[in-house]
Amino acid sequence: MRMVIDGRVVKAEPGQTLLEVATNAGFKIPSLCYHAGVESWGGCRLCLVEIIKASRPERSELVTSCIYEAEEGLVVQTKSERVIEARRDILEMLLARVPDSEVIRELAYEYGIIETAYVKREDADKCIMCGLCVRICEKMGAGAITMAERGAERIITPPFGEASDCIGCLACAKSCPTGAIAYLEEPDEVKIWDRSFARMRCKLCNAPMLPKEQVDFVAAKSGLSPLYFEVCDECRKKQSAKSFARLMA
Amino acid sequence: MKKRLIVTPERCINCRSCEVACSFTHAPKPNSPAISRIRVYPFSEERNVPVTCLQCEEAACMMVCPTGALSRNPETLAIEYAPEKCIHCKSCVYACPFGNCHYDEAYNQVAKCDLCGGDPACAKFCPSKALVWDTQPPIGKIDKDAVPRMQIKFTLPSP
Repeated sequence: MRMVIDGRVVKAEPGQTLLEVATNAGFKIPSLCYHAGVESWGGCRLCLVEIIKASRPERSELVTSCIYEAEEGLVVQTKSERVIEARRDILEMLLARVPDSEVIRELAYEYGIIETAYVKREDADKCIMCGLCVRICEKMGAGAITMAERGAERIITPPFGEASDCIGCLACAKSCPTGAIAYLEEPDEVKIWDRSFARMRCKLCNAPMLPKEQVDFVAAKSGLSPLYFEVCDECRKKQSAKSFARLMA
Repeated sequence: MKKRLIVTPERCINCRSCEVACSFTHAPKPNSPAISRIRVYPFSEERNVPVTCLQCEEAACMMVCPTGALSRNPETLAIEYAPEKCIHCKSCVYACPFGNCHYDEAYNQVAKCDLCGGDPACAKFCPSKALVWDTQPPIGKIDKDAVPRMQIKFTLPSP
């Protein structure tokens, strides 16, 4: 199917979202909670664009491009006045929520916002409640974190504050757009969600590897033996080379 | 018949051109090499073994990847890595039984052989045909002294 983005005709496949179509075609749309590896859910709302449907040409509307699917004959504007105004509003609110986040400050600055007109949150962390970490943890299969409480009190936390299902893979923290999740990655242990995980060591060279909890979880989920995870990649490669060398005449 | 990356360790002269070619071909930005997906292990003058991904049929790396960031390219049969889908859990790095999945800390990416999308740079720069991209292994004996060592000039593709 065909659509028009910022005056240019682009091709789209059914099921593709506007964000995917636009990004593939080289348009830049800001987003914080979009991740190609997990399902989109329109959390941060920064990726919104203005559309005019072929079936209703008299009226335009704002939609979040990460969850809106491509349609035949859609006319999309990624940086119209209305879009920019809406994004500025969102950024001002985000800036009030996380005044210390460098990522949000820089993004706001790009849109000409230096100070927010809203009241800044006191003792603010850097979480914008986009929920990317929750979706990533679910995709990993652990499902160890969730959103809790209501309204302004809403937080992301392991259920009842106890990270009993966490496997210490750190995927949530490493994908957080604002770096809001505190973690520690030391040779001996990783720490996240107030829980410490001992790291396994390579049987041959003693190099630190994944936490035991992650290995057990991934092995059980994939059906691979935990023996796969006992030696580091460097030593395995050396072993492979030795095996091949033995095969040589 | 499909072309494959055929490795003949007997022909390898440990010049490591493949490693350099790989590093630069996979550079995320110009003049900023990535870690090589292929590595040569010298055991003796006559025994040099280049090791790279075997593109396993039942690939452990693909089996443990939760997001589908590792997927098979039906054209080349290589298992390719999509950085935008990766959540950096590093499960694949330790699942590979041959040690051919690495994690490039400098770029926060998994580094694994993708056969360069069907034209492997390592084979292109291998002077002794230890690595070839072909349907058949190279034939004939190799006179290792006749190979012009380290005279390879790189023209780097701009990434």
